[in-house]
Amino acid sequence: MSQERKEELASLYVAGAMTSAEAQAFEREMLQDAELRALVTSLQAAMTVLAAGVPLKQPPAGLKSEIMAKIAECEKVVPVSFTAVDERPRSRWLLWALAACFAVLVVYQQNMGFQTQTADMEAQLAEARSEQQRFQSLTGILSAKLADQEKLLRSMSATNQLLAMELTQIKESDRLANLRIALLNSLLADSPKAVAVSVWDNQKQTGVFHVENLKPLPAGKDYQLWVIDPQYKTPVDAGVFQVDEKGNVRFEFKPRQTIAAANTFAVTEEPKGGRPTPTLDRMVLAGNAKEL
Amino acid sequence: MNCSLGTCESLVDWVCRRVNQTGTVSESVNESLDQEVDVELLQRMARGDKEAFAAFYDRYAALLFSIIFRILNDQKESEDVLQEASLLIWEKATVYTPSIGKPSSWAVTIARNKAIDRIRFLQRQNRLVEKAATEGEGNEPVRSVRDSVYGREKAELIRVAITDLPTDQRQAIEMAFFKGLTQYEISETLREPLGTVKARIRRGMLKLRASLEGLL
Repeated sequence: MSQERKEELASLYVAGAMTSAEAQAFEREMLQDAELRALVTSLQAAMTVLAAGVPLKQPPAGLKSEIMAKIAECEKVVPVSFTAVDERPRSRWLLWALAACFAVLVVYQQNMGFQTQTADMEAQLAEARSEQQRFQSLTGILSAKLADQEKLLRSMSATNQLLAMELTQIKESDRLANLRIALLNSLLADSPKAVAVSVWDNQKQTGVFHVENLKPLPAGKDYQLWVIDPQYKTPVDAGVFQVDEKGNVRFEFKPRQTIAAANTFAVTEEPKGGRPTPTLDRMVLAGNAKEL
Repeated sequence: MNCSLGTCESLVDWVCRRVNQTGTVSESVNESLDQEVDVELLQRMARGDKEAFAAFYDRYAALLFSIIFRILNDQKESEDVLQEASLLIWEKATVYTPSIGKPSSWAVTIARNKAIDRIRFLQRQNRLVEKAATEGEGNEPVRSVRDSVYGREKAELIRVAITDLPTDQRQAIEMAFFKGLTQYEISETLREPLGTVKARIRRGMLKLRASLEGLL
């Protein structure tokens, strides 16, 4: 604690500006810090001097005696006195006889008391043994139940795993439900073997297009992929592509517009860079999409 | 020595007697506030010495009652609280050690705390008369406890030290000590940030201590 902080806390404490909880915490702190205690002491002395600046007011004269009386009351002790024993010889033997009888009576009562106590303790011991047996039996039952519960827990864990697998499969099938696949057949007499497959993910609005055996185009021309969605009057442009020397290509595509239902895919031959609408008489591949 | 200081209250009477014995006021006052004497009285009280309590009461009753009255501003309530505080001092004499502070500071703290407890009780009971006796600047009473306890010479030095205390610092300290307000309540009442209130109390207490260093 910094010196400034100590001074602050000590000042607040001495001035009486702390809450009860704060004061108690500070007093605990003081117990362990002699410097803090000395600081408080010095500030208290200053506080006393400030307090002495109040107007003088004498207490009533009778108050002191009231206070003294109260103090005396607190400490009043009533002495216990014993009356003197009758010293007359004639009654001494009687006293001894009475004392003897009393002693016998006390011993007898104590004996009876001990016997009763012993019987009680034996009964308690028997009860404790019986209780112990009951506990042992209960322990056995609980142990068996615990074993059953553990077995059940293991079984439930296995079931949990199966459920998790099924859930994963369901999620996968949900995903698959969003996919549509189209097989595009050649419409060209001079490329009868040309074929394409389009896998469209309606949720992600992307697809994969795979073409084989489509004749390469000369420079200045591109193939263009189209998606036919009934909501639109014209096919939706899905991008241009070129095939390699074998007539193959595989690419991912994203149509320029949002597709609600990809019913049909088609490929046309277009000038380099493509066109906003297809040249229908130059359609080379086409196919309807189906759900998986 | 002519003790024409007014009504010659018991403490002053005692001082007068000491003056007649020793010859100087300041020396007598010094002796009257001798911490060792007070410590011895408390130690005797701890052993059940009622005469020691009576002597302690004679020395400090005026101081304690004045502080209590300053807080409560009610004669009957103040008498009750002085009685409670006195009994507590008697009871707690067994746990007093010089390490916890001067006997005067210890007794003042007990009395002040009792008074604050009472003021809070009365506030809850809605019986407190909200007339706080204030001690304004330049409106010093004819006689204060300070004068009787410390003697004229030192009392004047103390008066200057307190007067030199900046008003905001003195106000914050007095709100805490005489009204029992916590730092949070003072902050709320004065509409000042808590940090400002803490700083005023800290600076005020340190300044007071520094000013009175030779007298404490």
